[in-house]
Amino acid sequence: MSTGLAKIPEHPARRRDRYQLKGKYKLFLIALPFLVLVFLFSYLPLYGWIYSLYNYFPAIPLSQSEFVGLRWFTMMFSNEVQRDEMMRVLRNTFAISSLGIVTSVFPVIFAILLQEIRSTKFKRLVQTFTTLPNFISWVLVYSFAFMMFAVDNGFVNNLLLRLGWIDTPLNILASDNHTWLAMTLWGVWKGLGWGAIMYIAAITGIDTELYEAARVDGAGRFKQIWHITVPGIIPTYFVLLILSIANFINNGLDQYFVFANAMNMSNIEVLDLYVYNIGMANSNFGFATAVSIMKSLVSLFLLFLANGMSKVVRGESII
Amino acid sequence: MLRPKKSLLILVLVCILTVFTTACNSGGNNAADSASPSPGQAGSEGQNNGDSQVITDWSKEPEVTLSVFSVLANYAGEQPGWFAKLVKDKFNIKLNIIQGSTDRVATQMASGDLGDLVVGMGGKNYTDSIKAGLLLDWTKDGLIDKYAPNMQKYAPQALEANRKQYGGGTSIYGIGNNVGSGDGPSEGATMTFGPYLRWDLYQELGSPKIQTLDDYLPVLKKMQELQPKSESGKKTYGFSLWSDWDGNFSTLAKVTAQFYGYAETDGFNTGDMILVKADEAKYQPILDEDSYYMKGLKFYFDANQMGLLDPDSLTQKFGDVSNKFKDGQVLFAQFPWLVNVYNTPDHTSDGKGFALVPFAEEQIYSNGFNPYGSGWLWSIGAKTKHPERVMAFLDWMYSPEGVAEGYHGPKGMSWDVDAEGKPALTELGLQTMYNPDTPIPDEYGGGVWSDGAGNFGKLNNGTIITSSINPETGEPYDFNLWTSTLTRNPDPVTKSWREAMGVLTDKEWFVKNNQVAIMKPFFNGQAPAEEPSDIKLKHSQVGKVIKEFSWKMMFAKDQAEFDSLKQDLLTKAKGLGYDDVIKWQLGQTESTVFTMYK
Repeated sequence: MSTGLAKIPEHPARRRDRYQLKGKYKLFLIALPFLVLVFLFSYLPLYGWIYSLYNYFPAIPLSQSEFVGLRWFTMMFSNEVQRDEMMRVLRNTFAISSLGIVTSVFPVIFAILLQEIRSTKFKRLVQTFTTLPNFISWVLVYSFAFMMFAVDNGFVNNLLLRLGWIDTPLNILASDNHTWLAMTLWGVWKGLGWGAIMYIAAITGIDTELYEAARVDGAGRFKQIWHITVPGIIPTYFVLLILSIANFINNGLDQYFVFANAMNMSNIEVLDLYVYNIGMANSNFGFATAVSIMKSLVSLFLLFLANGMSKVVRGESII
Repeated sequence: MLRPKKSLLILVLVCILTVFTTACNSGGNNAADSASPSPGQAGSEGQNNGDSQVITDWSKEPEVTLSVFSVLANYAGEQPGWFAKLVKDKFNIKLNIIQGSTDRVATQMASGDLGDLVVGMGGKNYTDSIKAGLLLDWTKDGLIDKYAPNMQKYAPQALEANRKQYGGGTSIYGIGNNVGSGDGPSEGATMTFGPYLRWDLYQELGSPKIQTLDDYLPVLKKMQELQPKSESGKKTYGFSLWSDWDGNFSTLAKVTAQFYGYAETDGFNTGDMILVKADEAKYQPILDEDSYYMKGLKFYFDANQMGLLDPDSLTQKFGDVSNKFKDGQVLFAQFPWLVNVYNTPDHTSDGKGFALVPFAEEQIYSNGFNPYGSGWLWSIGAKTKHPERVMAFLDWMYSPEGVAEGYHGPKGMSWDVDAEGKPALTELGLQTMYNPDTPIPDEYGGGVWSDGAGNFGKLNNGTIITSSINPETGEPYDFNLWTSTLTRNPDPVTKSWREAMGVLTDKEWFVKNNQVAIMKPFFNGQAPAEEPSDIKLKHSQVGKVIKEFSWKMMFAKDQAEFDSLKQDLLTKAKGLGYDDVIKWQLGQTESTVFTMYK
């Protein structure tokens, strides 16, 4: 017994040593290509931040460009109107992103409901049709929207007029009513099926014995959903939620770019679109870089905030 | 056991890395050498160069593909149709067109390679490209003397201007577009602007006299009542606008200025926030109380109040508007080229079609002939492997033959000269010029007319202005101005219009009635000044606000809302630095173009 006791702790320790010595290089080497990629695509571009300190024009090397220091940064807040502009753009960004986060439970609900459908054929059909919009580019979505909502011979207006529900056609696309909500709904329409895939996978991963046991204990369908399915996919949901909070400020460009017009510009112009309109479309690259840097800093702050909250609320963090 | 495994792993990893890095490298090389021929071909042209022997027959040289970076192109990919065949036969080159939008230009410039032929680049991008050594100096190795006899003959002042403005008096980095000399408007049969009305409906109303711009509104209202539905049964509108071409303002509202002889440019500097008179030292800041831009906004606001403005104007794209014109849904056109889709032989033979209906106060803006060339320059990329061939091709486009064939197709196909050497359209030409979908015989490249048509195919830039006289025929290049075209039996719409107006063309009417303001070319041997970076940023921010509020004002519910939006626009624009932008732009105009009037 004494020999046995002496041996047991010794053995795993030796194995751990061997493992650490021989295996770590292998693991490192396996990870290396990806580390290289991360370095190339996530860290190397940070070098580009240097452009925010120059008055840069393409083709002219930095050494010959005018050094402007922090002028682009101060310009963002230089006077009342400029500050209002920044505030407006940030407000739009935060509002649309918040709505996006609120609606992020929709795919969860949708996935659960989808799993409850008995007929496999119908389930497949629903899933295909809801996943499809994800693959349509926003440019095409806009032409579809224009066909549907145009004042002159748009489908919706024609329908409502024929039904006698309205007297004058509605100009839905050129209106500033509920722009944030409308944009969120377009986003939900496009992303619902796609977003549900991850949760469907999570549901499939739940042990069926749990359901059987619950049924034996007399749980109905709703009880099963509430006590087994929901807790089963909550971890997945939280990971995705935290990642989406880090992406809070990057709510993309293309959707808002295609739907933007003079009427809704003041409420649709999110940060990315603003950077495009001012920076790229008018080649103010230094200014655009400065705005993007501010954006990165805010993103970083939000990520740590979400992570910290997760630690407090759930006792787990992802970083 | 472990060792071989490990080394295998390392080997695999090294392979992966090599693949990654070489993929990156070869990608870079490809971009730089997209036009490079096989080594053998490079050798043959290199030899020719070494012999200092001038090549005259390019069709015997090996085939190359030139990458054409066109800022003006509306097309990407290989040039199709009869123009491709023409260029292939003459120069044995294929043209691969790269479309350059504003942001694409920046990317291409940052990559350090602008391709072989650069079309339509001007302004700051052009001067920066020269500074960064991206453009070829044509005087190097006597390139211009050997391969550009036509430019030297037909556009010598344009070359000289480039030498002084951009080449420090020695080098030549390109040549301006639309070169021409002479007096009077440089436009063709039609001017650049209108207004055009549905002539049949206007006649039916008894051709009411139109004194001011606002007089169009009641007339259009009556026309709309006369024809409430289009051919496919849709509602008709007086105006249908589009916003996808807008830069720093609503383009269609700004066209109002051109009806009064003002434009957003002084013809030399790059500013667009002051409206400048074509032929006088007069100007209006764009947001001034009584500027023609504001007048334009008010005009479309009134139109909307009367139910004449298409409510989709803001959200639709140009393509949608063009379809509405085609269907007869729109009754007023700002530009002559808008109405081509409606004025088809089918419609005009029925007496239906658009025609110019000017207003008594109108003084149309016109570009005069400019021997120095305009600002959409033609230039050659510094990294080209075929400088001689690109130069020769470009020179051909500046020759009488090149201009004539580049626009109207090879001689003998859609046009030809008669016994006296005067040009006339052939049977085929009479179809192609009025129906772009006319099939083209295979010997000329096949496809349809529109495949090859345009300003030198899909390159979309001018060389010698087409209203100038072709020395080989003694008539203008533009077929619309040929005697044979003007004397041919016109369609009923044109016939009725000519009888009513007493002239043959739009241009003739404006000139005859002295209702045209012709811009004079300005040249002081210097390039236009560059906008300082802070002004540039303010400029784009102000522009964004002007564009946004302009559309809101046009669609305002009532006069009170219109006025309050106008007030908001002024407050916001001024807060973003509107006054600084105006001050800078005005300073430039006063120190250059306005000195001509002192």
